[in-house]
Amino acid sequence: MRLQRRKPLLGMNRSELESLCGKILGLVSADDAELYLSDSEDLILRSANNDITSNGFLGRVAVHLSVSYGKRSASISLTRTDEASLRDAVKKVEAMAKLAPEDPEHLPPVEPATYAEALTWSDATAAMTPADALASLRPVIESARAAKVDSAGYLSRSVGTSAYANSRGVFVADRETSVGFSMTARTTAGRGSGWASTQVTDAALLDLSTVGERSIQKALDSRDATARAAGRTTVVLEAAAARDLLGLLASGLDQREFDEGQNFLNSLVGKGEDPVGKSLFGDQATVFSDPLYAPAPSGTHASGLPVTRTTWIEKGVLKALPVGRFWAQKKGLAPQPSPGNLILPGEGKSLEELIGGVEDGVLVTRFWYLRMVQPQTLLHTGLTRDGTFAIRDGKIAGPVNNFRFNETPVNVLKNLVASGAPERVLGSESQMPMHVPALVVKDFNLSSVSDAS
Amino acid sequence: MQRRDWLKGTTAAGLALLSSRWTLSANAAAGLSDRFPALADAVLARATSLGASFADLHLMQTDSESLFVREEMVQGVNAGSSLGCSVRVLVDGAWGFAASGEITEARLLALVDSAVAIAKGQGGWRARPIEIETLPAFTGTWELPIAIDPFSVPLEEKVERLLGINRAAMEKGASYCNSHVSVVRERKWLANTFGTRIEQSRVRIHPSFSVTIVDPKKGEFATRSSLRPPRAAGWEHLTGWDAAAESALAVEQAKEKMAAPSVTAGKYDLVIAPSNLWLTIHETVGHPTELDRALGYEANFAGTSFCTPDKLDSLQYGSGIVNLHADRTAVGGLSTVMWDDDGVKTLGKEFPIVKDGVFRNFQMALGQAALIGREGGSNGCAYADSFDAFPIQRMPNISLQPGPDKTIKSDSLIADVEDGIYIEGNGSWSIDQQRYNFQFTGQVFHRIRDGKLDGMFRDVAYQGNSVDFWKACDGLGGEPSYELGGAMNCGKGQPQQVAPVSHGAVPARFRQIKVLNTAAESGKDIAAAISRPEGGCDCSGANPSWA
Repeated sequence: MRLQRRKPLLGMNRSELESLCGKILGLVSADDAELYLSDSEDLILRSANNDITSNGFLGRVAVHLSVSYGKRSASISLTRTDEASLRDAVKKVEAMAKLAPEDPEHLPPVEPATYAEALTWSDATAAMTPADALASLRPVIESARAAKVDSAGYLSRSVGTSAYANSRGVFVADRETSVGFSMTARTTAGRGSGWASTQVTDAALLDLSTVGERSIQKALDSRDATARAAGRTTVVLEAAAARDLLGLLASGLDQREFDEGQNFLNSLVGKGEDPVGKSLFGDQATVFSDPLYAPAPSGTHASGLPVTRTTWIEKGVLKALPVGRFWAQKKGLAPQPSPGNLILPGEGKSLEELIGGVEDGVLVTRFWYLRMVQPQTLLHTGLTRDGTFAIRDGKIAGPVNNFRFNETPVNVLKNLVASGAPERVLGSESQMPMHVPALVVKDFNLSSVSDAS
Repeated sequence: MQRRDWLKGTTAAGLALLSSRWTLSANAAAGLSDRFPALADAVLARATSLGASFADLHLMQTDSESLFVREEMVQGVNAGSSLGCSVRVLVDGAWGFAASGEITEARLLALVDSAVAIAKGQGGWRARPIEIETLPAFTGTWELPIAIDPFSVPLEEKVERLLGINRAAMEKGASYCNSHVSVVRERKWLANTFGTRIEQSRVRIHPSFSVTIVDPKKGEFATRSSLRPPRAAGWEHLTGWDAAAESALAVEQAKEKMAAPSVTAGKYDLVIAPSNLWLTIHETVGHPTELDRALGYEANFAGTSFCTPDKLDSLQYGSGIVNLHADRTAVGGLSTVMWDDDGVKTLGKEFPIVKDGVFRNFQMALGQAALIGREGGSNGCAYADSFDAFPIQRMPNISLQPGPDKTIKSDSLIADVEDGIYIEGNGSWSIDQQRYNFQFTGQVFHRIRDGKLDGMFRDVAYQGNSVDFWKACDGLGGEPSYELGGAMNCGKGQPQQVAPVSHGAVPARFRQIKVLNTAAESGKDIAAAISRPEGGCDCSGANPSWA
């Protein structure tokens, strides 16, 4: 069999992709095989000090092949699809699998299923050129120059085609586009700093100028910050900060870890109690994932398992936990993939309304350097940056110093008192699509002051 | 082996000496070495003809293998290889960059065209043109010397090593144990319009494990991860480590940690082992002294720095005994190379960052030294983590130098502490975007009372300000206590790039550092924890779920 030589997969239709996957799987003589094939084309523009600093037009194909003989398995990844490379890779991974000891937890690939068509593609985004990107960024940088602030930004346009296929007859293909843009503006005098971001699937909805204006205004507003002491207080977390904490909570949810006694949920329920069905969070907390949620869509399968809408938390009650295929089989549960996106619907209040309900507190634009401190409680640390403001009597009282926080996302949802309208913005850690509102959280632990500005 | 001998002696080593069980890698590398000169000529000629004042061609191949073993189950046997090329051009004072996984002359020439178009697209609206210094031209090959090529070690032997670690832990009473090893070989080819044509290869390895003890009655658990750092080395880095002995010790320490009293928050004298201090050096000295960060190039992501150019040669960064040295030539250093990714030769470019407590130099890549009026150009700190990554300034090996008294070790430092904590192993870490406020945890927190170790604490984190912390340093171990730590995955840049980097350190003592109780920080009532009866842990040896 002759394999097709490397050419961009982006223009391939579904049957061409299926044919290429079939040809690669046809090289495999192992009992079972799973194949992920992707081709991406990224366009990036990075700026600092009001100039472009680096950029790129990057193409990459990736092949990830797992094979198994009974319960012996191995995997291999490579960035080439020429016939010689693929044949060598198959030979190598089959040799590795034969040598690997049996894994009692290994399962064969999933059987065919029905998959919804993802909403993750936009022709407008795919058609975006480097010249388009430069043209859209130029006025934003020029507005920063005019405002006499130093701007640094990152515009990233990604276009990708991917396919999953296995030896049990599954084939599913996805196409995905996204554009993310973030900008930090800083003032020379007064140590002001402001940040804003956006993330869209469809470049036709891209609005860089609003991001630029918000970051510049926030930088100007945050000049000459005054001192405020650390301590537990009410915070208004803008959407970027809120999504970071929600992501940390989601990544901590795991059925197997709980069953094995090594999850934060173990300390929240009595011995022998099931956390699912328990009210562990505040009644304002509702979180779900849905690959077909148009404002922040995601892929419709996870390694061949269909992904559907899942409610994780409803009015404070834990409704579901992710569980892998082996553990699900062992425990008699249905496998539950981890979320591919997260939505917290919120109350729809404006940021001004949220601030208006706070007598004394702190408005947080974004967080930085979030890290787990204590897995037993899901305690995380991190810092505020790029726009931190005091709230007094329902109004912004002015910029204040930054803070380090030590807090658990469990407490954040327990102490949630009000929420805004969801937005799709970028976070500091995971860039999983999320549609999350600003949140008002009481008793948030601002542990110490940071001198950063 | 002395650093200079090691580097000089291997400069001419042929890449063909490297063996590989994966013919895909070996064939690709050999073919590229043959094709590289002609490809370079074509690319650089095209770039020059299109108006580039500077251009370079990078080819990069990264091969990797990793194994993951949970208890007695081998759950991950993985290999990987990425291969591709990039072209960088400087046209009319603007960078252009394009990359592809396809290495043909036609594709490369198309990349040149794309890169030039992106650069020219900035014409007319740049505030300041990019200017770079002229670099010396180098030709040659270099290969990092290793004793045992990890890619040549049979899979069965690798698996048995990890199973042995887990067996030792489970026999000692661990509820769970997982172990892991990853190895990477990085090959790079670089040609530029200064006349450089170089090829280099290096290998790195990271073996690790983590044990967990579960107390199902109390719904609690404790973990202890290995202290063995990653290293620029071959398989000998794993065979030279009694990992099974450490995993058994880790189980004992995890049990002791779970039963230990919760620390009372306050100020303590800390003695910090190199296995923890390397990461503190990385975050509080390494990142603040990156010049691109100080100049605002990372403002939108990694941040800026308190350490600005006006503080050169004047900022008292630490006490007078603190010396921190940067190089890309240290034996075993994860950042060690012969040439950086701008084509700067690293040998002879070593530099002090902090000397006798005073801030003396930044880390710099091509075109950056002139921005702060420094003579000598780049000090060799450029790196691109993959074939499609734009080279940016990345960290060299930065290490805390030993004190003058060779007889001083951790015991000697502990002996002069009345009420303190001796910390081993790195745990959680976080620092603000200008590198003032940090917070670190660890793996093991030994209580120090009256100059001696006296049991353990749990729930410990230390927090402070970078400069205040280093000024509080009043004791350093001697040269025999020096150890090299490090990480395979330091993140920076947009899109984010990960870089391997090492940090050497000796045990060091810091006076009156703020210690937090992490249980209290989480809002948990710690009264019960503090008053828990000694030996109150009910650590079952086997997890009921797995029995």
